[in-house]
Amino acid sequence: MRIIDIENLSFHYRAGTPVLEDITLHVDKGEWITILGHNGSGKSTLSKLLVGLLRAKKGTIKVGGLELSENTVYDIRKKIGIVFQNPDNQFVGVTVRDDIAFGLENLQIPRDTMIERIEQYARKVDMADYLNKEPHNLSGGQKQRVAIAGILAMETDIIIFDEATSMLDPKGRNTILSMMKQLNDEGVTVINITHDMKESLYGDRIVVLKNGKIIKDDKTDAVLKDQEILEKSNLEMLLPLRVLRLLESENVKDEKVRSYLWQLSLTG
Amino acid sequence: MKNIVIGRFVPGKGFLYRMDPRTKIIALVFLMASAFIIRDFTTMFVAVGLLVALLFVGRINIIRVFSGLRPLMYLLAFTFIFQLLFNTQGDLVASWELHYSPLNILAVTMLVVTWFFVRRRLPFKFFFFIATFVGVIALFATLRLGPAFATGTLNIHQNAIETGFFIVMRLLVIVTLSTILTLTTKPTDLNLGLESVMSPLKVFRIRTEEMAMIISISLRYIPTLLDEANKIMLAQASRGVDFSEGKFKDKIMQIVSLLVPMFIISFKRSDELANAMEARSFVPGQPRTRLHQLTWGFADTVALVVSLLVLTAVITSRVVM
Ligand SMILES: Nc1ncnc2c1ncn2[C@@H]1O[C@H](COP(=O)(O)OP(=O)(O)OP(=O)(O)O)[C@@H](O)[C@H]1O
Ligand SMILES: [Mg+2]
Repeated sequence: MRIIDIENLSFHYRAGTPVLEDITLHVDKGEWITILGHNGSGKSTLSKLLVGLLRAKKGTIKVGGLELSENTVYDIRKKIGIVFQNPDNQFVGVTVRDDIAFGLENLQIPRDTMIERIEQYARKVDMADYLNKEPHNLSGGQKQRVAIAGILAMETDIIIFDEATSMLDPKGRNTILSMMKQLNDEGVTVINITHDMKESLYGDRIVVLKNGKIIKDDKTDAVLKDQEILEKSNLEMLLPLRVLRLLESENVKDEKVRSYLWQLSLTG
Repeated sequence: MKNIVIGRFVPGKGFLYRMDPRTKIIALVFLMASAFIIRDFTTMFVAVGLLVALLFVGRINIIRVFSGLRPLMYLLAFTFIFQLLFNTQGDLVASWELHYSPLNILAVTMLVVTWFFVRRRLPFKFFFFIATFVGVIALFATLRLGPAFATGTLNIHQNAIETGFFIVMRLLVIVTLSTILTLTTKPTDLNLGLESVMSPLKVFRIRTEEMAMIISISLRYIPTLLDEANKIMLAQASRGVDFSEGKFKDKIMQIVSLLVPMFIISFKRSDELANAMEARSFVPGQPRTRLHQLTWGFADTVALVVSLLVLTAVITSRVVM
C-alpha cells in the first residue's frame, strides 16, 4: 500500500536556481528508503516539503491518501515525524523531559499517557537518566538522542531521519540504527537521509539525488554496487563491494566468496 | 558571562520551594503593594522585620539575596544623597557651613586621589565609595584651613530624610521579595505560574499561552546564546579583536563585531526552531495538553491569606493614622 506519492515536484528558494526538479517518488507503507546525495543536493528541502514547511512550486504530494494543502497540512504533520540535522535548533523544552513532552502536548495526548511515553522512549534512546537535564549540559549526540526520542514518542506512521546519526559515536549510531530497524519491523515507514553507506544497507531501497534530480531509485544492493552513480554523488563504494566488483570483472564466480563479501559489507 | 542572569533559581529546601508558583506571584504582588502603601517608620520597621523573618523561616541563602541587592546599591545611595541635598521641604534638621578654601580643596583632592588609587584593591568597594563621598562633604564642613574664597551651606530637611528613607526601603523590600521568588521558583514553574495568573487576560484577547511559550523558549536559549557569544568573542579575539581594552571607538567596533554575527546566528536558529516546532505539530493558539501541572495545597491558601492580611493591615494603618 502506498503511503507517500510525490508527483512531478519542483521547488526553488530563489527563482532561476531550482533546488528540486521534477521529483517523482513513491513510498510503500512499511518500507525503509535511504536518500543519498551530495551536500546541497536538496535532501533536507525535500523533507521540509513533505510536511508543508515549504510550499512546492509545482507538483503534488500525497501522504496516506491525503493531498497536501492548506487544509490537510496539520493532519499530514501528525503522520510524519522529522528528526532534523542540527540537534541544538530543535530542542524546544527547558529540560529533556519537557522537550520529549513538547510534541505530545501538541498532539493533545493525555498527561498520564504522556508520562509513560516519555519514560519509555527516553529509555529507548538511553537518556532515561538525563530527563531533568538542561540542553546546555548535554553533548551534541545526547541532544540528538533527545530529538529522536521526541519524535518516536509521537508514534507517527512515517519517520524521516535527516542525517540524524551524524552526531553519534559508533555505538550510539548502532543503537539508533537497530532501533530504527525495530520500528520498521513494527510497521513504521522510515526515510533515512544519510551520507553513510553502511547505514543505507539497512534500507530496502536507495534514492540518489544530484543537483535536485533523482538520478537513481532502485533496490539497495543494486545502487550500492553502481560505481558510476556513487561517483556522481561524491560517495565511495564500501570496500567489500569494491572487492566484489573487482572479482566480477576478473570473472571470478565463486558464489561462496560473493555471499561472504556481501555479508561482510553488511556487518563490517 | 553566565553571571548575567541575576536572581537565578537555586535548588534548596524550605517551604517556599514547595509552594505553588501562583501563590508566590500573587503574594508578591500583595506584599509589594503593601511596601508602597506604608508611610510611617514603625510599620516599615515591622515590615522589614517580617521580611527578614521570612528569609530565615524560608531558609533562603542570605548571601544570594545580598548579591542580588548589590547592583542596586549605587542607585539607592544616589537616591538617598540626592534627596538629602536637594529636598528642601519640612523642618530644618541640620545645617553646616561649607568652607571653600584652597587648602581645603587640596585636602579634599588628596582624599579623592587616595580613594582613586586604592579602590581597585579594596574589598567592600561600595562602602568605601560612600565613605569617600561623605568624607568630602565632611571635610568641607569641618576643616577651616586658610581663608575661604567662597562659602556654602548644606541644609538637611525633615522630608529629605523621610522621603529618602522610604524610597530606599521600598526598593530594598521589592527587590528582596522578587529575589525570593526567583531563587525559590524554577523558571519553568515561574512561567507556568505567570501564564496561569495572567490567564484572565484572555478575555481581552491577550494570548497568554503564546506569551508563556515565548518566555519559555527565551529561557531555554539564553545559555545557548551566551555560549555562542563566548565562541564568537574567542573567534574574533583570534583574529585580533581585543575585547578588554581600547578607546570608545574601538569598543563600538568590538560590540559590532559581536552583535552582527549574534543577530545572524539567532535568526537562523529561530528559523530552524520554528520549523522543528511546526513539524512537531505545534500550531499557535491551538489547545494543548500539559505535562506540568500546578498543584494547590493547604499551605498555599494560608500563604495567600497571610499576605492578603498584611496588605489589609497596612491599608488600615494608613487610613487610621
Ligand atoms: N533557506 C534557504 N534559502 C535559500 N537557499 C537555501 C535555503 N536552504 C537551502 N538552500 C539551498 O538549497 C539547496 C539544497 O539545500 P538542502 O539543505 O536541501 O541540501 P541537503 O541535500 O540537505 O544538503 P546537506 O547534505 O548539506 O544537508 C542548497 O544549494 C542550499 O544552498
Ligand atoms: Mg540537509
